[in-house]
This record gives sequence, C-alpha cells and structure tokens, in this order.
Amino acid sequence: MHPGIIQSDSDIPHELCVKPLALVGVTGLDIINNAVHKSIWETFSSNRRIERAPVLFKLVGNVQEFPIMKPKRTSYDWYIPKGILKKNWINKHLYEIPAVIVVFYDLDWNDSSWSEKMIECASRVQSMRAALEGRGTRITIVLIQNSPPQPPGEDALSSERAIALCSSCEINSQSLFVLPHGDHLQGYAVRLENAFYEYAQTYYHNEAKHVKSHKEHLNKNSHQYLFVRHQFKMGFLNELKQDAHTAHKHYTHAYNSLLEIRIVDTNALEIRTLAGFVNYKLCRLLFALNLPRDAISQFKSHVDRFKARMGFHELTFEHYAWLSKQYSVFGDIFDEAVKLGLPAVQTQHPGIYYQQAAQYSIQRKKFSQELCSNIIAYPQPDPLQGANHMEFYGQRPWRPGKLSAEPPDPHLESNGIQALQFLEKQINHSNLIIALYGLAISQYKTYRCPRTRRHLVLQMADEYYDSRDYGKALTLYTHMLLDFRNEKWWDILSTVLEKAILCAYLTANVQDYVGLAVEILGANINTPLNEKRRIYENLMRLLKKQIPFGDPKIPQDILQNAIILWQPVFSEKSFNIALDMTNITASVSVKARFMKKTYEVDQNVIVEIFVRSTCPFPLTFSKISVTVNAQNQNSEYTVTDSADVSFNFHKDEVKRYVVEFIADCNDINKDIQINSVNVFLGNSPECCLDLKYPASVESNGNNIELYHFKHNADKLDFDNVQALSQATVVPRESKLRVDFLHQIPALLGEWYEIKVVVTNEELYEIVDLKIEAWIEEEIANVELSLQPSDKHKKLNLVLNNPSHLKPTDQISTDFFVRSNLICKCNIQVKLTYTLSGEKQILSIKSEKLALAVVEPFEVSTKYLSTLMAEIEKFYIGEEFGVMNYIKFTSPWLIIVEDTSFDYIHPVSPAEENRSSQISGKTFNNEEIGAELHLATCNKPNDDFVNVGHYTIRWKRENGHSTTTTLAVTGLPCDWVAVGLKMFAPAHGYVRTSMVIEYHVENRSHELVRLELSMDASEAFMFSGSKQFSVSLLPQSTRILQYNLNPLIAGSVALPKFSMTISENTENGPPVVSQDQLNLLTGRTLPTHVYVMPQMKGEAKLPDSIPSPENVAVIG
Amino acid sequence: MAVCAAIIGKDNSPKFFVTINPDEELQFQYRVLSSLDIVEDKLNSGVKGGADTKELYLGMLLSLEAHKIYGYVTNTKIKFIIVVDSTNMVLRDNEIRSMFRKIHSEYADIVSNPFYIPGEPISSKNFTTNIKNIMTGTV
Repeated sequence: MHPGIIQSDSDIPHELCVKPLALVGVTGLDIINNAVHKSIWETFSSNRRIERAPVLFKLVGNVQEFPIMKPKRTSYDWYIPKGILKKNWINKHLYEIPAVIVVFYDLDWNDSSWSEKMIECASRVQSMRAALEGRGTRITIVLIQNSPPQPPGEDALSSERAIALCSSCEINSQSLFVLPHGDHLQGYAVRLENAFYEYAQTYYHNEAKHVKSHKEHLNKNSHQYLFVRHQFKMGFLNELKQDAHTAHKHYTHAYNSLLEIRIVDTNALEIRTLAGFVNYKLCRLLFALNLPRDAISQFKSHVDRFKARMGFHELTFEHYAWLSKQYSVFGDIFDEAVKLGLPAVQTQHPGIYYQQAAQYSIQRKKFSQELCSNIIAYPQPDPLQGANHMEFYGQRPWRPGKLSAEPPDPHLESNGIQALQFLEKQINHSNLIIALYGLAISQYKTYRCPRTRRHLVLQMADEYYDSRDYGKALTLYTHMLLDFRNEKWWDILSTVLEKAILCAYLTANVQDYVGLAVEILGANINTPLNEKRRIYENLMRLLKKQIPFGDPKIPQDILQNAIILWQPVFSEKSFNIALDMTNITASVSVKARFMKKTYEVDQNVIVEIFVRSTCPFPLTFSKISVTVNAQNQNSEYTVTDSADVSFNFHKDEVKRYVVEFIADCNDINKDIQINSVNVFLGNSPECCLDLKYPASVESNGNNIELYHFKHNADKLDFDNVQALSQATVVPRESKLRVDFLHQIPALLGEWYEIKVVVTNEELYEIVDLKIEAWIEEEIANVELSLQPSDKHKKLNLVLNNPSHLKPTDQISTDFFVRSNLICKCNIQVKLTYTLSGEKQILSIKSEKLALAVVEPFEVSTKYLSTLMAEIEKFYIGEEFGVMNYIKFTSPWLIIVEDTSFDYIHPVSPAEENRSSQISGKTFNNEEIGAELHLATCNKPNDDFVNVGHYTIRWKRENGHSTTTTLAVTGLPCDWVAVGLKMFAPAHGYVRTSMVIEYHVENRSHELVRLELSMDASEAFMFSGSKQFSVSLLPQSTRILQYNLNPLIAGSVALPKFSMTISENTENGPPVVSQDQLNLLTGRTLPTHVYVMPQMKGEAKLPDSIPSPENVAVIG
Repeated sequence: MAVCAAIIGKDNSPKFFVTINPDEELQFQYRVLSSLDIVEDKLNSGVKGGADTKELYLGMLLSLEAHKIYGYVTNTKIKFIIVVDSTNMVLRDNEIRSMFRKIHSEYADIVSNPFYIPGEPISSKNFTTNIKNIMTGTV
C-alpha cells in the first residue's frame, strides 16, 4: 500500500502563497547565553507589524552553509531543460539565500583590546564572505556598543577606528553601523532595518538583472521552458523587492510564454500546474494593485483557456480537481482582498467562485466514481515513489524530467494512472464539496442573497445525502422548507419534501416523518399520486405502530439499516406525537372563529371550527378540540362526538363543527382568544397524532374578497371564512331603569343636586347594589360630594343607597356637584349589582350625565361722584359712590339672601350704618339688581385701587344657599390741595330766601391764596361776597355763606361760583393749579337747584343749614 | 429565443412559469429564485431618478455559466424574468426589452380577465401559448 500523502498537483504550494519578504541573515547574536543579544534579536524579529519594512530576519550561525552556487553556464546551445520550474527555487530565495548578511559584534570605540577584537570581527566577516562565495549578498557590520553615540566628526578616535575596521573587513564604510545598546532600541532597530531593506532591494534588483541577462542565449525552439522559468524568476525577485508592477509585468510574460508551449500528453500536467501558479500570482498582484476587474478577467480567461484541456481521459477527475482548486483559490484571494477593504457587490463576490469550485468538485466526484470504481489494488512497484521530492513542479513521478519528445513507456504509464486512480478513490469528496458549499453559503449570506443561499444549502444537503449523512441532510432540508412555503414555490417545495421524507425515513425520525407526510398529502404538493398513496399508507401504518415501508428505489443495504433503526421506535408503550402546524400548509387545514365579537356573560360562547382535508385519500380523525385562552385560565373544549357529527373526510371535504360554552364571570370586560385547534389522528390510546393549528392563519396576501368569485360547487366556502380569534366577554344587558332628577344648567359655585332614581325592572331581586359616580374627564375645579358642603368633596363617589331592591321597587339617592369653572362635564354613574335569580349574575349598568355649568349672575361696578356723575378718579377726602349692578343670567329664579361689601384699606365706608339694599329680593332671568354705598379713599394711588370684596349670598328657590365673593377694583386716587363742599337745601321756593354755603378747605401745609367769585344770575337775587380774595391757612376751612332769593321756578341754574389762584403769590409755585380748581368746582358743585313756586297759604321755609360752631361766618 | 420565462408576484411567489424544455423546469426555478435576490436588492436600493423616469426594465440580473437572466418589474411589483442561453448572441438588450414589454401587455390582459383572480397562479392555456410565442420570437 502506498503510505505517504502525496501533495496534490492542483494545490498551490505553501511557498507560493506566502507574501515574499526580503531575507536578511543575522549572525553574531548569541541569543541563548547573552541577554543583550536576545533583546536585540527580539526587537528585530518579533512584533512585525504592517508599517515595518517588509523584511524577514533569519538567524544564521557563525559557520553557515548556504546553497552552493551552480557553475556559470556560458552557453545554452546544448542545454535542454528538463522542466519548467524547479521545486526548490522559490524556497531557496525565500528562506535560504539572504539578500543582506548582518554581522553583529560587541565592540566599543574605546575598547581596551580594540585591535584584537577588530581582527576577530574581520575574520568573522571573512568567513561569512567565503560561505557566500559568488553570491551578491551584501555584508554589513553592526557594532553593539554600550556608550551612547557621539555626534559624527567630534570623536576623532571613533572615526579613525571606523575607517580602520572597514578596511580590515574590506567593506564599504556605509555598511558599518553602530547600535548603541540602551534606550530607544526600537527606534534604532527600525532605522537599521530600513537600511537593510534598501540593500536587499538593490540585491534583488541585481539578481533579476542577472536572470534577464540569460535571455540573449536562449532560442525559441528548444528553450521555451526557460522563457517561462526566467520570467517567473524575475517576477518573483521583483516581488521580493516589493515592486508589484514589475513583478506583474514579468508574470504576465511568463504566463504568455507558457501558453505558447505546445501541449502534449506528457507535459499537459506540468503546463496546467504552472499556469495555475502564475495565474495565482497574477490575480493576487492585481488585487494588491487594486485592479479587481483585471484580476477577475484574468482569472476568467485563464479558466476558459484550460477548461477544455482534459488531459488523459482516465484522469479526468484530476482536471476537475484542478479546476475546482482554481476557483476556490481565487475565492480565497478575493475574500482576502475584501477583508483588506475591497468593496464587493452582490453579483461579484467570492461566494460565486466557491460555488463554482463546489460544482467542479461534484464533477470530480462523478468522474472519480466512474473511473476509479474498478481499481482495487495499488500497483507494485510504487510508480509514485518520490513524488514529494520531484525536481520540477507538475511532473509525473514515474517519468521525471523526461522530455516531451520521448515516447512514454505504456506499461509504466498505465501503472501510474492506476496508482493515481487508487489514491483518488480514497478521497472523501463529499467533505470537500460540503466545505466549499459552506464557504459559498456564508459569502452569499454576507451579500444579501437569501434565496441563492437557500439553493446552496439544498445542494449541500444533497451532498450530505450522497455521503449517507441523512441526519444532517434532513436538518438542512427541514430548515429550508419554511422559506419556500412562504414564497409558495410549490414545485421546489415538493422536491425538497420528497428528499426530506426519505431522509426522515432513513433516520427513523418519526416526528419529522409524520410532519412531512401530512404536508406532502396536501393539495399544494405536486408529488405523483402513487407516491402520495405510498406515503399515506405509511402514515396509516405508523398510526398502527407498524414500521412504514421504504421507498422501493432505495438500495437494499441502506433499507436494511433503516429498518434496524425503526425497530426500537415502537418499543416504547405510548407513542404520541404533537405537531405544530403553524407554518405548514398541510393536507388538513383548520379555521376557527367566534360567532360574535362580544358575548354577554349569560350567553353561550359559540366557536365555529372548519376543517378541510385536501388529502387525496380518506382521513378519519379521532378528536377535534379547541383551546380558548382567557385571562385566568386556558380551557380546552372538545367537539362532542354524537351521531350527526362525523370525523371522516374525503378529498376536499369541508366540515363545520360548533363548540359552545359559557364564559366565566371573572372574564367580564376581558378578551378571550382562540389559542389553537387540535386535530387528533389515530384511534388507539397509545398511538396518537396531535396536529395543533393556530387560531388565526395569516391571510395569503391576496385580496380575500376576490375569492368570493371563485367557483365553489356546493360545500362550505372554506376560503372565505374570515377568522375571528378574539372576542370580548361583556356584562349582561341590565334592565334597571335609572333616572336623574335635576335642574340644568348647574350654576357656577353652587352645590348642584342630582337625584338618582333607580327602578328595578329585572325579574329577580337585586343585591349588592353599588352606585358609583365620577367625572369622566377629570377637571380640577369640579367636585362631587354627598353633602352640600366643602367637607365631603371627592372625585370619586360611592352613593349611599340601599343595597337590596326587589322587582319593581324604586329607590332614590342623591349627590352634589360643584364646579368653580364654566364648563361642560360628563358625569359617569355606574351601577354594579348581582342579580339573584337562579344563578348569581353580576351585572353592570353605566349611565352618562352631561352637565353644563353657567354663571348665575354677572356683577359690574360703577363709581359715581356725589353729584351722581360717573367719575374717572377718586380724590382723597372726597366721597364717592360705589354702585354694584347684579345682572341675573340663570334660567331659574334666584333669591338674594344677603349682600355685603368689605372695604380694603385705604378705602373706607363713608356711611355709619351699612346694610344690604337688595337682600331678600327675588330675581328672574335678565333682571338687574343694584345697590349704592358711599366710600372715601385716603391714600393716593396711580393704579386702580382695590376697593374691596363684594359678597353675595344667594340660592335657588328651595335650594341651598351659595356664597359668591367677587373682588371689586376701583379707580386711581389723587390728592388735591384744595377741597370744596357746598351745602344747600334740596330745593327752594320762589321769592323765599335760601342759604347756601361753600366750604373751601386748604388740605396742604402751605398758605393758599385764592380769588373767589360769584357771577350774577338772572334767576336769583343773592347776598354775599361777589368777589373775594381769601387766604387759607394750612389745614383750615373757610365758609362762604350766600342768601339766595330765587326769582323763577323750575330747575334753575345757580349763580356760577368760581375759584382762581391769586396772581400775587409770593413764595414758589402754587400748591394747586387752575385746572385742578376748575375740575374741583365741576365735580363738587351742582349747577342747578330746583325752585318751587310759592306755596299757597302759609309758606314753610326750608330748614336753614345749621352752621357748625367752628366755622367763621362771613357776613 | 429565450429558454425560460417566469412571472413572479409581489410576494415573490411564482405566478407563471414556462420553460421550452419541461425537463429542466426545476433547475430553472432555482435559477429564477436566485435572481430574485438581485431584483429585491435593486428594488430596495433603487431610488434612482424621479418618479417620472420610472424604468421597469432591470437589465441583466445574473450571468451564469450557461445562462443569462434578465428582469423587469411592473409598478405593482410584479416581476417578469427571462432566461436566455449564454451562447445566444442574437438577443440583445433591445430584443429582451421588447420581449418584456410584450409579456407585460399579455399580463395586463390576463389580469383584466374576470375569470382570473389576481394573485392566483395563471393557468390559462391561451396565455401559455402567447408567452411561448413571445419567447420563441414567433410573434
């Protein structure tokens, strides 16, 4: 038997995949014994992040063997290459031949044994140089020093010694570096490695140039391989140099040269392999150069070119393995580029390539099964001996390095092919395919292709099925069913179901088998009828606890295994399967609905259940039940099995069942829901299948109304049954009569009485009657109370009432509402009671009472002077009248019980006995009541003075008294220095003298001089000073007295009294202005007096004014 | 000539499916289903241009090894899909476009048929013949 694992030619070798880095050899570091050396090495070698120079450090011993240089060829005339690319070449340049050698050496400039150490260093350099004889590798020295570095040029000793060291080591002074060991090691290391990298680039550049120089020796006929080889090498060296553009150019040349080679049977594999390599490099570089389109088109043309080149027919699988690898590797590169930030799109992403790779792997598997099935033995001697140590890539181990011209040995050839076929047979293709599908699926998921992904999952499941992993296949199939169901791709769903039920059978998965069977028997699934019959019979067998028959197409050995698996399934006693039919469009469909949206508590709740079977064969159910969810409990109600109820169904038969029950009183005002409908199949108690349907099936998105147009022969119209899965339990309709006795509208501020009269019109006595009242929308200023007083106010009220009420009895109770706001409010009254009939039934009756609140009256106030003229200002010391008008606006009669006026300082009453002038009066709507009081104000104020509060106590006729208090605002108040009052009798008589007095008051603290005059009048003869100059002392009053003798009767104008300020005022401006004086006379002095005709008979003189004692009388 | 035509409803369920070779129907169903991913994506991302310049033709959705798939969406989100052989060079964009327009008008006719319930799979024989004629270019 062949022992080893042969590296497949289709794989991309590791050395090709790694990113080429310039190789720098490091020597002279003893990292095991020397801590300093160790830290230096670690600084260089570890933590290589992306921003560091693309350099690979390799620790090299002091005595290192490097690959020996081949002797230089002077002529290619007779050289015939044995292959295209040697297997060791890439590795050699990646890991073995350094571009730069760095010799580390501990040496300070002022070292005591300088010269000895210098010689030792030089000898180390020499030995390195000898080992690298002939190579262009750059040798550099790094001196590890303890002393900190000096600025260049300042230290004569160091520069002198540096020159000496350079010359003794025979190196360029630029190749000598100093590494001070101490702080900033990282910084020095970065600078050093950049220098090394620069040298390495030069090295690789020269190497590439060297390879290029061979070109002129080649000729097109015999050296076609070398064209490819050299271009490849140049490409690779440029990659090491990190020159992607040049590398790409050379690889392109290599690829084109490769295509020029004539392909024959013997070199087909080699060329294909190499083409794969070069294409890999090209695509990777193109992605790195951010040319993804070019990469894709390069790959496509590459695949197109080689797709048809099958090679040996016996090894066709090898070709497909190669193609699959090409795709999967391209997928990898693409994915890598995406991870580095390349944006991919829905139609162009790595998943497509993985998918294709999987397809080719399937081809490979097909051919492998076709070609390798007969191979039983591995040929001896081993034709694949040494396959892993071939000199060239892509050559057959049994004829290495053979030139294409030589004819192959047919026996050896067929042995080799047999060996490869044998090895191919050992491979588990399914695993490869499944892995590729896995990659593709995750990519398609990323790029939002759920349906494509589903298809791939199905293919993956097919592959699991193929590899006889039925359990996994079943899982994948069943997971995909839902989406196909939702989008109604019945054809696809049918095929998937058929595959899935096969898997379920083969794994003896009863649950899935039954579920799938019920679905397959449905009308939507277009499985052939004979197949459906087989499944139906199997389902029936299962319900009788018998092993179902397998599909006759299944090979015998698999069938045997399945039957063995089925054996233990029925050994257990009871055998109950519950299936959730929520998302399954099965052969049995169910709809359930309530007949009404609301059910009163004393009515029967009726649930209608429609069952339809689309199974082409008769089905008989053992039980149908419905589960109803209520707030507190779930109850199951079973369709009663009576004579007229049949559970037998034929194809497309629809039957209607009715379940009735009485709702629970506790569920009043709560929802009840149909939770599920359960349909049971299977008669025996130990074997039963429970199909659980949800209450509301989602409508299928189309306009349901349109289904009414569908032809429906005779039966129940199942499609048009509208589900109603929720209903509300409501209290029974109450037969209580509730009347409200009240007098609308309510008046603002009053306790408004509402009388509730309840009449029992029920048939039975009611108990536990509770009447509640509350305001519908809470308004802050509306209050409820049981008493017409503030103490009991509440927002939510329980009325006082007897709790028992016999039939036809009547009770009444009342409550009060008060609103301090003009508004409209709704009062809810709820009556809760228990009807004590045959059964105690809780009943509720709700009533709503709409209430408008209006003002009972409006109050307006006017201010009057003593002459009853309206005034605009108060004056200190002068009396004014406060006139309150109450305008009644209530439709109901209002009785004013009392009114009062409370003055606020500085306003005070000017009357001694105040009493209400309208108390006890009754007012109708639109009537006005007014009362007048006198007051004075004794403080000046520019603003409106608050006069006081006007309080009105009022009530409706037979009502409760209400107190309304209103604030009354007055007028601004002024102070005037001079006051004037006139005292006169109410009327005079013709030719009878009457006395009038003018009191002129000085209210200021200064002397006031005034000129007073009395104009002559035709209506009067009068005595007294006609013109008078008066000086008023502060705070004094002067009285002027006139004797008037009226000459004519009627309302007669009085002689005009006027005051002017004396002109000869000496000190300062006058305390009073002429305007003020004019206004004063205007508002205080009456202009007219009534004069009566002389009385017949004895004339009675009116009372003369009693002269106050403290007033001087001016004669 | 096209090898397959499909009409997909707005809920992405197939309303009508016809292939020239009935044996390949299942394979085509998978392909058409996959192409719906692209249609959905185009519909979700596409607020291109104003409402006036509503382009119903979506262009090529997928270019597979053996087939090319084209798509067209009506304003009511009914999708028309046409599958063409990759090797077919005769059918260019314009021909596909006009094919879609013909299918659209056929579809409009069938929807206007009072015996057809919108949203149900289309089973009219006459319709099938008409679509097949459009596909083979005999109309």
